[in-house]
Amino acid sequence: MSGSKVFLIRGKGVFGPGGEMDRLKITEMLALGFRKLTGTRETELGLARLFARDARIGIKINTIGGRKISTRPELSLSLADLLIKNGWPERNVIIWDRTNMELREAGYGLSDRPNGLKIFATDTAGAGYETEVFSHRNIGSLFSTIQTNFVTDSISLAILKDHGLAGITAGMKNYFGAIHNPNKYHDAHCDPFIAELFDSEPIKGKHKLSILDALLVQYHRGPSFHTQWAEQCGMLIFSLDPVAADAAGWGLIERLRSGKGLPSLKEEGREPVFLASAEKMGLGRAGSDSIEVIEDEI
Amino acid sequence: MKRRQFCETLAGTGLLLGTGAAAGLSRVWAFQDTSNLSHVEARYYKKLPDREIECLLCPRLCKLGDKERGYCGVRQNDGGIYYTLVYGKACSANVDPIEKKPFFHFLPGTDAFSIATAGCNVNCKFCQNWQISQVRAEQVPHADLAPEEVAAAAERNRCPSIAYTYTEPVVFYEYMYDSSVAAHRKGLKNCVVTAGHIQPEPLQELLKVVDAVKIDLKSFRQDFYKEYVRGDLQPVLDAITTVGRSKVWLEIVYLVIPTLNDRGEDIRSMCRWLVREVGTDVPLHFTRFYPMYLIKNLPPTPVSTLESLRAIALEEGIHYAYMGNVPGHEGENTYCPRCRSMVIERFGMQVKSISLSKGACRNCKNPIPGIWA
Repeated sequence: MSGSKVFLIRGKGVFGPGGEMDRLKITEMLALGFRKLTGTRETELGLARLFARDARIGIKINTIGGRKISTRPELSLSLADLLIKNGWPERNVIIWDRTNMELREAGYGLSDRPNGLKIFATDTAGAGYETEVFSHRNIGSLFSTIQTNFVTDSISLAILKDHGLAGITAGMKNYFGAIHNPNKYHDAHCDPFIAELFDSEPIKGKHKLSILDALLVQYHRGPSFHTQWAEQCGMLIFSLDPVAADAAGWGLIERLRSGKGLPSLKEEGREPVFLASAEKMGLGRAGSDSIEVIEDEI
Repeated sequence: MKRRQFCETLAGTGLLLGTGAAAGLSRVWAFQDTSNLSHVEARYYKKLPDREIECLLCPRLCKLGDKERGYCGVRQNDGGIYYTLVYGKACSANVDPIEKKPFFHFLPGTDAFSIATAGCNVNCKFCQNWQISQVRAEQVPHADLAPEEVAAAAERNRCPSIAYTYTEPVVFYEYMYDSSVAAHRKGLKNCVVTAGHIQPEPLQELLKVVDAVKIDLKSFRQDFYKEYVRGDLQPVLDAITTVGRSKVWLEIVYLVIPTLNDRGEDIRSMCRWLVREVGTDVPLHFTRFYPMYLIKNLPPTPVSTLESLRAIALEEGIHYAYMGNVPGHEGENTYCPRCRSMVIERFGMQVKSISLSKGACRNCKNPIPGIWA
C-alpha cells in the first residue's frame, strides 16, 4: 500500500465571538476538503468521484456526548446540503445515529419525509436492527438496518475526542453506533474490536471516507465533555483512509495535550492500539511515516 | 405491552412474556423509548473525579465517563451518578418448573415464578437467551413490574419461589434484591440462576435474602473463559466457594460443549476442586449443548460424553451428579448415595415420583441434602 493522504482543513473565523458557528464557512471547508481529497478543481466533480448519482448516502454521526460534544448539526447539515446542492437527491441522504433521543439531545430535528433529507436513528419504528447475528472475527452483533438496507455509501462524520478506554474516538469507532451491542467491545482498549468491526462487510463494503469534526476537540478526560479540556481547533480532517484519518486525529489530540502540559496517551497507558491492529489487517496506514498530512486554511 | 395488559395476562394464564427463544421473538426490538427506563441509583459503585464512576458490582469494575454504559448495557453514568436502567423492568416473566433452572434439590416438582430483565455482564458465544441477554435495556420490550408485584404474581400463580434467571440477574441486582425481600415477606423463597460474575460484597449481601443459587461453571480453564465467555474463571470459583460455605443452597451446572470444554482431565480436576472447596453434596449437572448464537458449527453433545463425565464426577466422590437435556436418562434421577435407591424420578423437567420422607431416603433413612419444603 502506498502512503495515505490526510487533509486538515482549518476554517479561519469559523467560530464567532460567542462560540456560534459560521455555516457558510463550514460549507467552504467541506467543499475544499472534497476538492483536495479527490484532486479536483470543482466540488461536484470531486463528489462524483466518490458517489454514484443514485447512491444512498449515510452520514453516520456520533451524538452520545449531547449538545456540547457531538458531531455538530451545523456540520452534518452543511454536508448534506453540499451533497444535495451538487445534485444528489435529497431523498437519498440520511443523517443518522443510534437513538432519536441522542439525536434530539445533540440538537438535531428529526425528519423522515419520503422525498426529503432524512434524520433519524436506528430506534425509529420501521428501522431497527437486523434479526440475524453477524459474526466476524471477535464481533457478533446485530447491525442497524440503516447501515445494511438503506445506505449504499457511508461517510463517517465523527467528532474527534479523547476516550478513556480506546485512547481516542473518531471515524472508526463511530461505527460502534451501527451495532446493537457496542458495550461488549470496550475491553482491552477496544482492541481489536474497533478494527474488526470496521473490517466487517456492512462497514468496509460501504465506507467511502472519514471526515472528523475537529471544530471543538475534547483532548482530555473524554469522551464526556469537560470545558477545561476542550479546545476550539476549527478544523475538519478528511481522508479516504479510515486508519490514517484517525491516526491524524490522534496526532492532533497529542499536540493539544502536549501544549497543555498533559502526558501523552501512551504515558497514560491508553494509546489507541486499535490503529496498529487496523493497519495489520490492511485497513489503512497508522504510522506517521506512511501518512502525508496536508494542511490548508480557508 | 401496557402494564395493565401485562398484569391481566398474568392473572389469567400465568404466562407473561417468554424468553426471547421461548416466545418466538424473531426481532430484537429497538423501539423502546429510553425515557421509559428506570433511573434508580445503583448500590455498588464509587464516584471518581470529573463525573466518572467505577462500578463495584461485578469483577469487570467498569470505569465510565458521563453518559457511558457498563459492559452489561443496563447501567449508566448520568452526571456522575450511576443508575440501573432496568429496575422493575421485566422483559421476561414465566411460570416454570423449578427443574428447568435446573434445581434438583430445591422444592422439587414445584413451579418458580421466573423473571429477567435485559442485559448480561459476560458474552457467552453459546448463549441460549442472547436475544434478551446480549442487548441494551431499551432494545427489548419490557413491562413495569415492581418488586411487590413480582411477589404478588408469584403468590397468585401458586409458585412457592421466585427465580431470577434467563439473563444474568447480577446486572439487575437491586431489582432482584428488593423482590427477594418482598418475596420473603410473603413466605416465598428465592433462587438465583447466575454465571457467578459478582464481587464478594454484593454477593454476601445477596445471600442474606435468597435461598438457593445455581452457578453456571462454564469451564475449569481460564483460556475458555477468555475466549468463549469474555470473563474470568477465578471470580466464579470464588463465588462458588462463598455460596457453598454459606447457608444458601448451591447447585452447579456445567454445559458440555463438544471439543471446547469436554476434556475428562479438566472435569476430574474440577470435581476434585469442588469436593475440596464445597464438599460432596453440591449437585453437579452436566447439560447437553445445542448449537446456538455464535457457536453453530458444533454438533449437540453426544450423550456418551455426558455419561463419561458424570462417571468421572461420581468416581471423584460427588454424590449427586446429573445429566441435563437428555429426557428419560437415568442421569436425571436422584439416587441415595448410601443404599442407591432412587429417591426422585424425573423425566425432563417433570418430577414423576419422590421417595423422600422429611428430607431422607425412605429406604435407608439417609438424609438427602437440599431444601425440600
